[in-house]
Amino acid sequence: MEIMRLVVTGTVGAGKSTFIRSVSEIAVVDTDRISTDQTTEIKKKTTVAMDFGRLQFAPEMALHLYGTPGQARFDFMWDILIRKAHAYILLVDAHRPSDFRSARKLLAFMKQRVDIPMLIGLTHRDCEGAWSEENVAIALGFVDEKTRPPFVSLNANEKDSVIDTLIVLIEHYLNCVVKT
Amino acid sequence: MAITSCLSEFSLPELFQFLDQGSKTGLLTLRFLTENQEKRVRHVLLHQGRIVAVTNRLDHQCLLAMIVQRGWISPEVLREQVNRCPANIPIGLYLKTQSFLQPEQLRLLFHAQVLRQVCGLFRLREARFKFDTKATLPTTEMTGLSLSATEATLMGLRVLRDWVLLANKLPEPTSALSRVVIGKRHLRLDSVEGQVWQRSNGSISLNTMATQLKQPIEIIQQTAFRLISVGLVQEVPMMTAASRSKAMAEDVLEPVAAGTNHGSKEENGSEVSPSFMQNLLGFLRSSK
Repeated sequence: MEIMRLVVTGTVGAGKSTFIRSVSEIAVVDTDRISTDQTTEIKKKTTVAMDFGRLQFAPEMALHLYGTPGQARFDFMWDILIRKAHAYILLVDAHRPSDFRSARKLLAFMKQRVDIPMLIGLTHRDCEGAWSEENVAIALGFVDEKTRPPFVSLNANEKDSVIDTLIVLIEHYLNCVVKT
Repeated sequence: MAITSCLSEFSLPELFQFLDQGSKTGLLTLRFLTENQEKRVRHVLLHQGRIVAVTNRLDHQCLLAMIVQRGWISPEVLREQVNRCPANIPIGLYLKTQSFLQPEQLRLLFHAQVLRQVCGLFRLREARFKFDTKATLPTTEMTGLSLSATEATLMGLRVLRDWVLLANKLPEPTSALSRVVIGKRHLRLDSVEGQVWQRSNGSISLNTMATQLKQPIEIIQQTAFRLISVGLVQEVPMMTAASRSKAMAEDVLEPVAAGTNHGSKEENGSEVSPSFMQNLLGFLRSSK
């Protein structure tokens, strides 16, 4: 079985779960586990919440989509998840500038660990007060237009919009492979 | 397109970093209430990410009034010179070239008009702001001197005493910092800033820096925030010390294995084949 792993990360409420649900052929799985971590005994149970979706498009070929937990808690799970990923999407809510700094932190965390193709997906662009793609790019630190990853405005609720985003990412992935 | 929000959403250091890094030109208007609930407004004029003037009204007369107030030029002469000044030349610069003002006088004007005003903006508890890129910038408010928006941030945050408003913007004590180089910068760092900068290698947490530098963690967080805001470093979250086993984490990573008969044989991080990608692309295109 050949699998491509795609991580969908982003700020809280940006639409990670919705994004995966919109294209997954299976009901999205939330993974919860009982903690064996002695340091968290007080809590007894910890949740490793992660959305999982799948898109099988050939008998031996599938795209797996992993949604990272909403809260900014970077644990071992994250590390495993992104080190096994082939590409990732960072979803950013364009009408919540208060989250741009969190998005930068996520980017820094990812960049420190992996150098894989990625795409920035902007959601809520139709909301009042939403920032333009250009301005969000600058706010996220992508000042130079030439070295920016692809930016896509999308509606995570719409399957076609999500598929369009995936197409841009796959095309970008192929370009990156050609360059290397 | 104008950008509107409030400082509790997008703080002044974030806003100035955005304006500087984006080399933005336009008019930033901040509306706020004083402690006595009086309405106030400040207009910050920016040219290519640099602050060229700060005023409290838009009649284009603030700088001229300051010059007259100081008795440096009479109102009549000044009016005549304003009429002669070319439209694209800052009035301060023009008056200097005409020998009506000395460079030191321009610096004093700029200090009162911009430096002092900008530092005060960082103490605002809340303000609505609007950045309008289409606004016309009046040259009669310009000395010809300017200050990059991030330099203003460095100055403003160094003298800031009450950090309550920025508390949720500060980097986590468990985070590390890594250096970022965007363009050439020649910022003069103070002692603690320099020491934090030296430790910004992506692996030393702020907690560790605080211990090493014998400083309270709040001071290190604030220092780190200054360096982040001027674009010298970025916050890098470190993994929490959860001791979950790798095997367990990998088990969680493959929840689908329990629901299918397919065994995943691929190596960690292995490349996907070109035929896989072409198939996927074809499938996605036909799915719409």
